[in-house]
Amino acid sequence: MSSSLSQNTSRPELLARKRRLRRRQAFTRTLIGIELALVLVPLGIIVLWALTNAWPWPNLLPQDLSLRGVEQVFSGRQNMGASMLLLSIGIALACAVITTAVAALACRALCLYRWHGRNAFQFAALLPFIIPSTVFAMGVQVVFLQVGLARTVPGVILAHCIVALPYAMIIMTDITSAAGTQREEAAKTLGAGPLQMIWHITIPQLLPGIISSLSMCYIMSFSQYFLTLLVGGGKVQTFVLVLFPYLSGGDRTIACAYSTVFLLITFAVFFIFELLLRRFGVREEESLYG
Amino acid sequence: MQLTLEHIDLTLKGKKILDDVGFEVADGQFVSILGESGAGKSTTLKIIAGILPQDSGRVLFDGVCVDDIPTHKRNTATVFQDIRLFLHMDVQQNIAFPLKMRKASRAERTETTDRMLDAVQLKGMGNRRPSELSGGQQQRVALARALAAHPRALLLDEPFSGLDEQLRAEMRQLVSQLHQEFSMTSLMVTHDPDEALVMSDRIIHMNDGCVIQHGTPAELLLHPASPLVRAAFNDSSSIEGTVAQGQFTSGKLTVPAPEIPDGSAVLVRVPDREPFVHPLS
Repeated sequence: MSSSLSQNTSRPELLARKRRLRRRQAFTRTLIGIELALVLVPLGIIVLWALTNAWPWPNLLPQDLSLRGVEQVFSGRQNMGASMLLLSIGIALACAVITTAVAALACRALCLYRWHGRNAFQFAALLPFIIPSTVFAMGVQVVFLQVGLARTVPGVILAHCIVALPYAMIIMTDITSAAGTQREEAAKTLGAGPLQMIWHITIPQLLPGIISSLSMCYIMSFSQYFLTLLVGGGKVQTFVLVLFPYLSGGDRTIACAYSTVFLLITFAVFFIFELLLRRFGVREEESLYG
Repeated sequence: MQLTLEHIDLTLKGKKILDDVGFEVADGQFVSILGESGAGKSTTLKIIAGILPQDSGRVLFDGVCVDDIPTHKRNTATVFQDIRLFLHMDVQQNIAFPLKMRKASRAERTETTDRMLDAVQLKGMGNRRPSELSGGQQQRVALARALAAHPRALLLDEPFSGLDEQLRAEMRQLVSQLHQEFSMTSLMVTHDPDEALVMSDRIIHMNDGCVIQHGTPAELLLHPASPLVRAAFNDSSSIEGTVAQGQFTSGKLTVPAPEIPDGSAVLVRVPDREPFVHPLS
């Protein structure tokens, strides 16, 4: 509180203001607490269930702890080995990289250039948003069968990319407009060739968006069930595909053990993305386009 | 470097932007392009830098046509009005950027960066981020970055228009001084008549995509070739300078001032009157 203000305001008024401020802070803290609880409590329950054999209602805490779920995860039974995990991560990473690259280039064309058919192109890129993914999966399966992409890993990656593209586009649009071409122009006049410009200026400028888009596309692909089932035709087995029967079949212990693995992998991948961002030294910057 | 433009034409979206623009900047000179906004001044700089290709005409550096040389090989560093520092790099990295692009050694980069920081009076600021600097400091970093490129020609696109009056005066002096120190060919776009008068060896006045007059500051001020040029100086201003032996001098501007005693004086411009020199004592 500035001194000039306190001179003009009486003491009781000041105290009242302080009280109001404190009440508002308490309100904000409560809201944040609720939000955290909404995220953390379900996560905690998943981890607890992974270590539990039975947790009958109305007990507040599990009755019978067991390592059955953990054993199952590490045993590698039923196609749940490391190779299946690596395949799932590989598909998700490929989808994240391809989709983000396509979205970055498409947004560049959409945001920085004026051309005929621009609006139609933008609409087309966002179409997968509007069509429900089940409907899309049915259609794409027929086409993929005809061109021989069904039941193959590239086919699954491509299908995931199409579904993830609108999300990536929406993330990349604003940051591409904000970055503009001014700094690229400056770099060129200072002697940067086309590749040097992309590496030293364009990518670092877009990096916060690129990382968000990579994370988004990764999680979309990694958690995609129906589309993977249909396009993969049971031949391409990803993590979610194997996890799903346990969830619907009712063996919560094993389902939660796998879910914990799912979470850990996702966190690890996001952590790597975050490191990437730090490596380019973008995170410390408060306003990137001040 | 001698810079020559020959018969440059440019039409964008059906609108004629540049119409038969031609001029020459002699080696080591400081030349200003003066004109209203929309006169094609900045576009002319972009064509020299190779950012924008012209429809017809030629750009020559030291008599050699550079039309087929891409921007990054022309070596014409530009200082922009909107500064355009690289925000993900600190001040040092910004200044070292042109050297890094040229794959200069780390030692050379450090040495040049230190020298440039010194030249623009920002010693010890190397580790700051651009966002931590004031507008004037940012523009000085941009200037240092351009100078670090050892450009064949330095292009300045309204470099001071984002700064307040006090800073503008300081920056003008700094740019004039560095121009001399590095003996570069410099071309500056401005819409400020005082700036052009005091800093330039020669002034090019442009209007509507055409060059109207090209001459020394005194020629444009005292003998405008057209009402358009007269109009450019038809505002109120006073430029401080000194009179010696019947000549008023301020920066690079020299005008006759007969019957004015030696010492401090001001050159006064008032709308619809001939400019005159008034002694200060």
